[in-house]
Amino acid sequence: MTNRPAGASLVLALSVAACAATLAATPLSAQSEEGSYWVYVANEASDLVSRVRFDGSEVVEEKAISVGFHPADLDGAHGITVSPSGDHWYVSIAHGQPYGQVWKMETETEQFVDSASVGLFPSTMSMTPDGASLFVVNFNLHGDPIPSSVSAVFTPFMQEVRQIETCVMPHGSRVSRDGTRHYSVCMMSDQLVETSIMGLDVSRRMSLTLGHEGATEHTGSVASNGNEVDPATICKPTWVVVSPDDERLYVPCNGRGDVLEIDAQSLEVLRRFPAGRGPYNADITPDGSKLVVTLKGNQAIAIYDLATGEETRVETSQPVTHGVVVSPDGRYAFVSNEAVGATRGTLDVVDIAAARLVASAELHYQPGGIGFWKMQGH
Amino acid sequence: MTRFMTRFGTMGTAALTVLLTSAVDGTAQMPTATPEQRTAGTRVTEIRFGTEELVVTRDETVILEATLVDGEGNPVEGAIAMILVQGGLSPRTSILSGSSIELTGQQPGSGSLTAAVMVPESDGSAFGLTGVRQLATLPVTVLDHPAASIEFDDLSHTPYTGTSLQMGGTVMTDRGAEHTTASISWRSSDPSVAVVTGSGILTGLAAGTVTVSASTENGVTADATISVVENPVRSVSMTPGTASTRTGDVVEFEIVARDVEGRAVTDIALDLAVSGLEGNGGFVFEDGTFVAEETGAYRVLASTGPASAAAIVEVSARQGPVAVELVAHGPRADVATSDLWVFEGRDGEDYAYTGTHAQGGGQRMFVWHVTDPTTPVLVDSVVVDARVVNDVKVSDDASWAIITRENASTRRNGIVVLDLEDPAHPTVMAEMTDGLTGGIHNVWIMGDIVYAVNDGTNAMNIIDMSDPANPQHAGRWELRPGETNKSLHDVWAEDGYAYLSYWDDGLFILDVGAGTHGGTPTEPQFVSSISYPQGNTHVAWRNRDYVFLGDEIGTADGMRGFIHVIDVSDVENPREVAKYDLPEAGAHNVWVEDDVLYIAYYQGGVRIVDVSGTLRGDLYRQGRELGFFRTRAAEGQGLRANSANAWGPQLFKGHLFVSDMTSGLWVVKHAQPRPITF
Repeated sequence: MTNRPAGASLVLALSVAACAATLAATPLSAQSEEGSYWVYVANEASDLVSRVRFDGSEVVEEKAISVGFHPADLDGAHGITVSPSGDHWYVSIAHGQPYGQVWKMETETEQFVDSASVGLFPSTMSMTPDGASLFVVNFNLHGDPIPSSVSAVFTPFMQEVRQIETCVMPHGSRVSRDGTRHYSVCMMSDQLVETSIMGLDVSRRMSLTLGHEGATEHTGSVASNGNEVDPATICKPTWVVVSPDDERLYVPCNGRGDVLEIDAQSLEVLRRFPAGRGPYNADITPDGSKLVVTLKGNQAIAIYDLATGEETRVETSQPVTHGVVVSPDGRYAFVSNEAVGATRGTLDVVDIAAARLVASAELHYQPGGIGFWKMQGH
Repeated sequence: MTRFMTRFGTMGTAALTVLLTSAVDGTAQMPTATPEQRTAGTRVTEIRFGTEELVVTRDETVILEATLVDGEGNPVEGAIAMILVQGGLSPRTSILSGSSIELTGQQPGSGSLTAAVMVPESDGSAFGLTGVRQLATLPVTVLDHPAASIEFDDLSHTPYTGTSLQMGGTVMTDRGAEHTTASISWRSSDPSVAVVTGSGILTGLAAGTVTVSASTENGVTADATISVVENPVRSVSMTPGTASTRTGDVVEFEIVARDVEGRAVTDIALDLAVSGLEGNGGFVFEDGTFVAEETGAYRVLASTGPASAAAIVEVSARQGPVAVELVAHGPRADVATSDLWVFEGRDGEDYAYTGTHAQGGGQRMFVWHVTDPTTPVLVDSVVVDARVVNDVKVSDDASWAIITRENASTRRNGIVVLDLEDPAHPTVMAEMTDGLTGGIHNVWIMGDIVYAVNDGTNAMNIIDMSDPANPQHAGRWELRPGETNKSLHDVWAEDGYAYLSYWDDGLFILDVGAGTHGGTPTEPQFVSSISYPQGNTHVAWRNRDYVFLGDEIGTADGMRGFIHVIDVSDVENPREVAKYDLPEAGAHNVWVEDDVLYIAYYQGGVRIVDVSGTLRGDLYRQGRELGFFRTRAAEGQGLRANSANAWGPQLFKGHLFVSDMTSGLWVVKHAQPRPITF
């Protein structure tokens, strides 16, 4: 276990003032908790985590919680995930000095519980179904492109039990539904990496470079292994989604502009969905019928009907569309939009069946990571 | 307690039941448990270890005995516990099933071991760890390899009767490395000739030879033969550089010890002491200097053996704080302000450029026209893709400037070069992002060279700006390449040396063209370093033989940290000699000019400190502060009213410009621009 970081109580206390300014959109008293959804969104350039509620028609930021250990510098709240029980949420504090942290927060009180030191620029996270283990990719976008890792954190004690070296710029983190495998991708190595959760080591790798797709033993990209590679064939993956039956994996190729459907057993590409500019994050409906992909370069999301492959595009409220999470009932996609510079980002709610933006709320600077907390009245 | 920890090999391995295979790096497979084991776990109320503290030697493997017991103290068969170790033990995760686990010492130090019984979870998973219940913790100590020898420090100093000297030595392990924790105790063979304290201070009592023994706790001993010589000194004379001085002014003494024939004895150790005749704030230092924090009369005594001399120093107050006059405030109430640079543009007009920080959206550099410092006029701004423009620097000829970027929407941060042909309306001339994508926090311009702090790496990137429109990478310097646990925060360079603030590793001094250590601007060479326990080394600035080194420490009570004064007159051996420590606030950026130190001190506003002359002790307590100004904005004139948050100072044409994080640009002037130096 680690001690509470210095300054934590200060920045948490400041959250009261921070949230006051963002509650004005809809009086809470006018809303009913019946039929409501809650998500958490990390605002990376504000060091705030927004707790957001959608009541079926309007979406409001209920609270902004300050996170980070340095009152005068940006600590970079990046990824966020909520424990399966809903009791805690976890946020990666990416910037570090130099190593980043994962903070464990209590949902009932929004209070800091504990933290774990991990690797360089921890970003995306996911947890085992029992909530006991958390896997965070250490994105390490700084400086030289060197192999980085996935940190395995035992959450009851917030202790990093291992850094599993994967490849260059790992991003995206998803645990299979059966809790036996972890998947991540590496932007610069152009790989999908499967990690054994029981063994805490890399079990398989897959090259995602067009013409070289498939299982590989190499730890680096195709180009780094002496091959001439047409830049247009490089996937530059940024995310991975596991289908509800653990049979399929979906990988947005941010550089190439398509989305791959991969057989999780054979690591063969089954289908290839054309996407817009910069497909980035993704999530899937619980019945496995729809895949929602954020298009960072298009200010939009793409909704794929996985039976037909048909794509429906929905424009979002701000550019640099980043994160997405689908509600457990499969009705809504909650989408974060970073915006640019001094423009505040937003959280959009998209009705998936209708492929329509139904609500939007302004958050803070650079909202990115997003995690679904709970829904009530359904 | 009936079970005890035993050394591996002295106990039968049949007693060892470890389910997990430890990995090379000290981790293990994640634990799991059967439903039967979990059910048994519900009966466990306590985990008892065979010891109150686990002590292991580096590379040694031990068996830790433990028992899972129920509420009546009976062992529970079939239950298992998970063991997690924080500290220098391997494996970090393992399972206790039965009565013991195997652990190996790795890194010397202390830590803890946590044990949690595994019980049924509410929902199934491959791990099944939801039901773990923490029941016990155990302190852990990992010792270094056994001490095997002691190497004495320099023994060439002559101990005279009636004088003392510090004995020293290094304990070496049986692997030939310096022991990380062992201490030495000392003993004299003949206390009538010399006595030695436990920490090694030897005092000669009578002429003769004595054996001084150094020993470690584990019985390693080394002997040194010391010859105590009759003290030849019969008289000591002592003359202060001045008999009357001010608080904070350092007094040196001419002290001469002479033998019976009147010849000077130069290799004798002298004891110095001070007593206050009218004050209590006098101090003497290792180099024989004296300084007082309080007014009064002080008696300084120099002695060796039976001879001694005293000098009286009368200390008066320094000049009281001078008034600091507000000249102008250029408010920014919409966005946080970061660093500043004030300069005379090529058009002959004066300008202040200020960066912006995250609160309110840090995407701009503001341009202020300050030719008339009483009326700063905001004339333009430059917008870039960033959420923090932390630093702003202007070239020596004022033809170009650099602003740093962090949190760009594209995540390609780096630097932006501005063309200052029209300094009132600078334009973007170039960007440089390759290899700098994580962000640049600070830069320093030295001619055509820019030193850039590359966020998240441990590197200072060197950029050739001979063609400012086409900046080129020209080199890189990093502390211990390959080690990722380093963090560089700031760099400052002048007169051929660069001063790098390396956070928890302290100050690093590089030769970048001084001609002393073979360094060039693009191929720096290490000169020396100095660190201190609290770390957070944030900024450095050299003036004469002193480097003013600032901490930046965030605490639950707000920003803290102070200015360390480092004497670099011997640049290869920097040493901390003084500090300026404002108790209620935290230091940030500094500027030094004409022996005046200007510190942006966050909540404390801007502080102005006399750093003339020799510096020793606590400059704040000595009254060396010349003045201060709290940069507190009126309602509506800043992000937060009535709250100083000073970021950076710069003296320019007799006015002090200060950027404040919550309120923008300030111009102040202190009534007496320069301190009186005696």
